[in-house]
Amino acid sequence: MLDLNFVSGIYVFLTYLAGAIFIIGVVLRIIIYAKTPMPVKIPLTPAPLTPMGAAGRVASEVLLFRSLYRANKPTWVAGYIFHISFLLLILLHFARHFVYHHPLPSWYQLFVSIGIVCGIFMFLSLFYLLFRRMIVDRVRIISILSDYLILIILMMIAVTGLSLNFFISAPALTKIDNKLDPFVTGIAVFHPINIPGNPYFIVHYSLILLLVAYIPFSKVMHFVGVFFSPTRYMTDNPQEERYYKPDAEDLSL
Amino acid sequence: MAKAKASYKVPVLTGEIKVPKVVPGASAYEKMYQGEKDDMAALGFPASLEEGWEIKAVGIFKQLLTHNKALRDYMDICVRCGACTDKCQFFLGTGDSNNMPVGRAELMRRVYRYYFTPAGSLFKGLADAEPFSMEMLKKWFTYYYQCSECRRCSYYCPYGIDTAVITMAAREIMNGIGLGQKYSTVIIHKVFNTGNNIGIPSAALRNTLDELEEEIKDATGKDIKIPMDAEGAEVLLIVPSADFFAMPHMESLIGYAKVFYKAGISFTVSSYASEAANFGMFIGSYRNTQEVNKRIWDEAKRLKVKRVIAGECGHAWRAMYSYSNTMNGPFDFLDSKYRQPTHICDFTLGLVKDGAIKMDPSANDDKIITYHDSCNVARGSRMGMMPEGQFIIPRELIKACANNFHELRNGTNKAETYCCGGGGGILTDEVMNVRIAGSMPKMQAIREAMDNKGVNFLALICAICKTQFTKMYPLYGLDAEMVGGIHQLVSSAIIL
Repeated sequence: MLDLNFVSGIYVFLTYLAGAIFIIGVVLRIIIYAKTPMPVKIPLTPAPLTPMGAAGRVASEVLLFRSLYRANKPTWVAGYIFHISFLLLILLHFARHFVYHHPLPSWYQLFVSIGIVCGIFMFLSLFYLLFRRMIVDRVRIISILSDYLILIILMMIAVTGLSLNFFISAPALTKIDNKLDPFVTGIAVFHPINIPGNPYFIVHYSLILLLVAYIPFSKVMHFVGVFFSPTRYMTDNPQEERYYKPDAEDLSL
Repeated sequence: MAKAKASYKVPVLTGEIKVPKVVPGASAYEKMYQGEKDDMAALGFPASLEEGWEIKAVGIFKQLLTHNKALRDYMDICVRCGACTDKCQFFLGTGDSNNMPVGRAELMRRVYRYYFTPAGSLFKGLADAEPFSMEMLKKWFTYYYQCSECRRCSYYCPYGIDTAVITMAAREIMNGIGLGQKYSTVIIHKVFNTGNNIGIPSAALRNTLDELEEEIKDATGKDIKIPMDAEGAEVLLIVPSADFFAMPHMESLIGYAKVFYKAGISFTVSSYASEAANFGMFIGSYRNTQEVNKRIWDEAKRLKVKRVIAGECGHAWRAMYSYSNTMNGPFDFLDSKYRQPTHICDFTLGLVKDGAIKMDPSANDDKIITYHDSCNVARGSRMGMMPEGQFIIPRELIKACANNFHELRNGTNKAETYCCGGGGGILTDEVMNVRIAGSMPKMQAIREAMDNKGVNFLALICAICKTQFTKMYPLYGLDAEMVGGIHQLVSSAIIL
């Protein structure tokens, strides 16, 4: 029998629930996108003539946001900073598993500082994106509630993450630090233990669960969809090689 | 004419393209005429809108979502970043937020989220979801016919979201419930009946060609023929039917004929496939696009030609280049030495490079030329063997037959070209103000080239662009004679 306190019981359940929603949601979406046929070739030309070239084109969008760079430089800067800092933060959180062992490595403070800098960049870039959404007429008019919601969730995640470093005492932080890795490991090996009880941490963790569970229903799914965009991944060779999908006939182009 | 002119809203040409103030509904007043019973039925659509259309529309929508990866993807992944908001010529011209690519797409996404997503059915406000109401259908009918399917927005979208796909799907759904657009459906019906958009029967077509041959004889003294339905010719030439009747299109037809004559290559036009244009594509209907395209395929077989060459027409080239092989199989009964079909510019430039025909560029010295990349050629197809051939080949051909050439300024040509404002099946008078507004960005770029480089001729390779610009030039106070096809330049420069 698991020996969990009440709060931990709830959070363990929510963690598995959010994880399941995320994984099932994302996998289902990948299957749907992959299986839906495209009736005709629609690469946006000039397009690469070979599959390798097309893969490079998709990579340039995923890694460099090339089209957004062409469209709007300030948005590109803010968007790029946000994505990079968010990605680094996710990686740092995972890396923590390998780093946080006593005695702490001499560069642990640097490790934490990088995270803090990323958190600040993440917050500032999100703030710019929110500010722009509210100020620029063209963007405000197309914005819907969920566009604001996702920005606010992410900003709150950044703020609560930073608060752990600034608003609580060093011993309290160490206490969370010591309990965190066993908790995460417990979840991963399906033998959960109590969650660190600090309220700052609980809020941070709750928001992350909310985000993870919300992703499959939200526009964040663009991280999957970007790989399935026919204008970008298709090669420009309709004359050289016949493209034909019998199950996509007789409908819209 | 003078009265009509006065009622049009024509922007002032300063050479600058300014982003307008956003006014939702600014161009809601211009609507297409609805498709008529006969035409709708001939295209395989219900004759008119009937009770219960919402359920039917949602059914068709669902079918499209499961059979069109692009539509499926593009309904979900937009993050409303705003990258596209200042890129569409129809938004820049009208200021209507529904003409921003994302605004246009959201008209469909609202309905999509309502019927097909959990977020939309549970939290309507949060996800901005809306049932398919009559009011929404009216918006669809207005704004999905203020899009020229030029794909400029897709070039800038971080996910490559292609508004043309969305517009085509919207038109397919509307056609499927009996709400069609008169202009495109009439034209496709004419193609089924007569082989061309204008509805010219074969005897009348032959008459016109005879007159044209006489005109060429008077001008050059040479017996240059334009054969029709000639079995066993080397080349089947497929031109937009405007090339037979409209100006300046006919000048290009004369140009093609001179090229074939001088190169000694036999060719024929066809009375059965007397149309390059394929409006089936504009309404997003696979079946109709396929059927229009099949006429070319059948005719090439019947006339036992060795190759098929496409005349100056933008979307026609996209349909022939991108769709033909998919829809009606490869042209494997033709000579495999050549790319099938070949674009006329590719063909003519090849002859120039081989020395088979010679040009005297000084014949065009009265002209200072610029070139408009037509959207479907620039962003929907290719010419020749190399990437960007669709930009390189027409420019090389212009330079081969003229000495004075200037590019339009960066950001307004090649992959970033603005549409002429008349593509995608909206080249019709009832939406003249939308056409004028849509032409504005390109007209500004042209004005700037006129002021700074002395440009006095706009070279084109699209029948719709030619018609649109010859209509727009006078409205903007410019001379329509300054617009013409590349083969009009070829026609003047070729040494016979």
